[in-house]
Amino acid sequence: MNGQKSLGEVLQSLPKQVLYIILIVFTSVPLFFPVKVPNQPLESSVDLYASLMAVKPGETVLFASDWTNSTRGESLGQFNSVMRILMRHNVNVVLYSTGDAQAPRVAQDAIAKLNEERIAAGQKEYKRWENFVSVGFFSNGEATINGMGTSVRSSFNGKKDFAPGRGLTDVYESPILKGREKVSDFPLLIVVTGSKTSNITVERLSGKVPIAFAVTGVMGPETGNFYQSQQIVGFASGLKGLYDLEGLMEDGVNNPDKSGNIAVKSSKYGPIPGFPGEKNDGQGKRYYPTLHFAVGLLILAVIIGNIGMFLSRAGGRK
Amino acid sequence: MNLFLQSKVPNFWAQPFNSQGIWMGVLGGLLVGILIFLGLMFMPAQFRRPVVAFCTFIGGAYWVLLYIFPAPIDLQKTEMPTGPVESIGKWLTDANPVVVSISGTVTAFMLGLGIFSLLSIHLKRISRRQKDWAYSVILLVSLVSMAFFGYADYISRQGPDGTKLDLQANWGFVNYGRDLLFDGLLQQMDAAMFSVIAFYILSAAYRAFRIRSIEATILLSTALLVILSLMGAVAFVWNDAVKNMANGNDFLMNFQLTEIAGWIRRTFETSSLRGIAFGVGIGALAMGLRIWLSLERTGGGA
Repeated sequence: MNGQKSLGEVLQSLPKQVLYIILIVFTSVPLFFPVKVPNQPLESSVDLYASLMAVKPGETVLFASDWTNSTRGESLGQFNSVMRILMRHNVNVVLYSTGDAQAPRVAQDAIAKLNEERIAAGQKEYKRWENFVSVGFFSNGEATINGMGTSVRSSFNGKKDFAPGRGLTDVYESPILKGREKVSDFPLLIVVTGSKTSNITVERLSGKVPIAFAVTGVMGPETGNFYQSQQIVGFASGLKGLYDLEGLMEDGVNNPDKSGNIAVKSSKYGPIPGFPGEKNDGQGKRYYPTLHFAVGLLILAVIIGNIGMFLSRAGGRK
Repeated sequence: MNLFLQSKVPNFWAQPFNSQGIWMGVLGGLLVGILIFLGLMFMPAQFRRPVVAFCTFIGGAYWVLLYIFPAPIDLQKTEMPTGPVESIGKWLTDANPVVVSISGTVTAFMLGLGIFSLLSIHLKRISRRQKDWAYSVILLVSLVSMAFFGYADYISRQGPDGTKLDLQANWGFVNYGRDLLFDGLLQQMDAAMFSVIAFYILSAAYRAFRIRSIEATILLSTALLVILSLMGAVAFVWNDAVKNMANGNDFLMNFQLTEIAGWIRRTFETSSLRGIAFGVGIGALAMGLRIWLSLERTGGGA
């Protein structure tokens, strides 16, 4: 029967198994041969980087880690990049989660891996209690974030984390939370999320604290609304946003390299340094070429299907 | 006396960790909760509904009042509110953490409810050797082992040296057990499930994305432009070509791929998404009002 099919019909009826195998091959190959893809960062990513770098060393930021491994392809890389910037910039972090009960554990594991990387590179360990505390999971995100708008201290009341030599201790005994009662006492609130907690945060805390997001590609268009209305200061969306961040960590903004070339220019900011020579590449560099291949295949599949349709129509008219 | 002022002084709501008082409080709360549940269960239906409606109304009224009632501005802890408006505003603000805690606790009960439901369904299936009962065994073993290793890992971190366990070099058996189950199995399977979507997207796009009408053509070309703009290499080459052709002409520079995609995002995408969000918001408001006033029978009604 297959021999009787016209070319148009053949092009329209490729078996799904063939498509799946091509997809696996297309997406796997770049993983083994990583290449640096030329890139121009989006304005939203530049704003995210600038807002992270604008936090003064020694300050403490609120960090909602609302992702788990279901979106780790994007979220883990974003979390790592944001944490690397904060760690290198000596900014302290208060981790909390309203998105998923697994999220605090996943975030702590990610920080532990980053710490191992820092120690291996001869850098200072980013210590629990002294540099970051994990407040844990709040089962009712709407109420908790609403409460944070009134008083962060009250919302975190009774929450404990591990203090060295003391075991579980009230998080408000940590030096990084000293004097930070209201949400406005924090210079920035960062949300890395794969769920609707970004919406809940904007709805309840917008205008009370500068907010920055790192979201999945699917959430990008929706998040663009908040960015356009200036309810958030910046955001990274999906793998593209992650790749932008990694590039910005290497090049900075309006930051001339040794030969005087500026890789990323922005009229909004003065020179913002990067971290050249440090480990800036991560999931973004590894997966972004894969995204190219996957999207390229998607476009190719659509084109083939449409050519098949037109050929079939043309054949039918004869 | 402000019953909600609780942050500094240890009281009934904020007692030392692992103290006798807190355990008594937990036990007492549990008993009161059980009594309330039993009372509601055995209450005749015609009385149960007004009780549920009353609790729902009070719960909703608090959040509505907190949102619309003027809160005192910059009132210090040592200052007393002046006048009834400020007093009520302060009372509502002070009550917030307690209401948040209660709200979180009630939500957490869903976890217990979920476990109870899982156990009752799957134990029944196993005991009756119903179809696919072996999967139920796997589910329950996974549930118990994950809970055991998760809690044992948590306990192992309780001591003064607990922070040392943040580094893998200091791990023991339970920490490796938790890591194997949580990171090695659960999280990987979670990620694998999510990544399967890529296959369906490709297959669906190939079969369904056909240019059959003008609308479909507009949709396809718009999607193509936005997708291509996310491919850094393509955007770089396209923009470079436009820059070379434009030769400083500002109008032609608008045809850079990132400019076109940005224009589509700013004008069409965000405005249409805003419209959808606005509609969803109005719908949620209407549904919220119905639930708050217990007009919605399908959800919270008794």
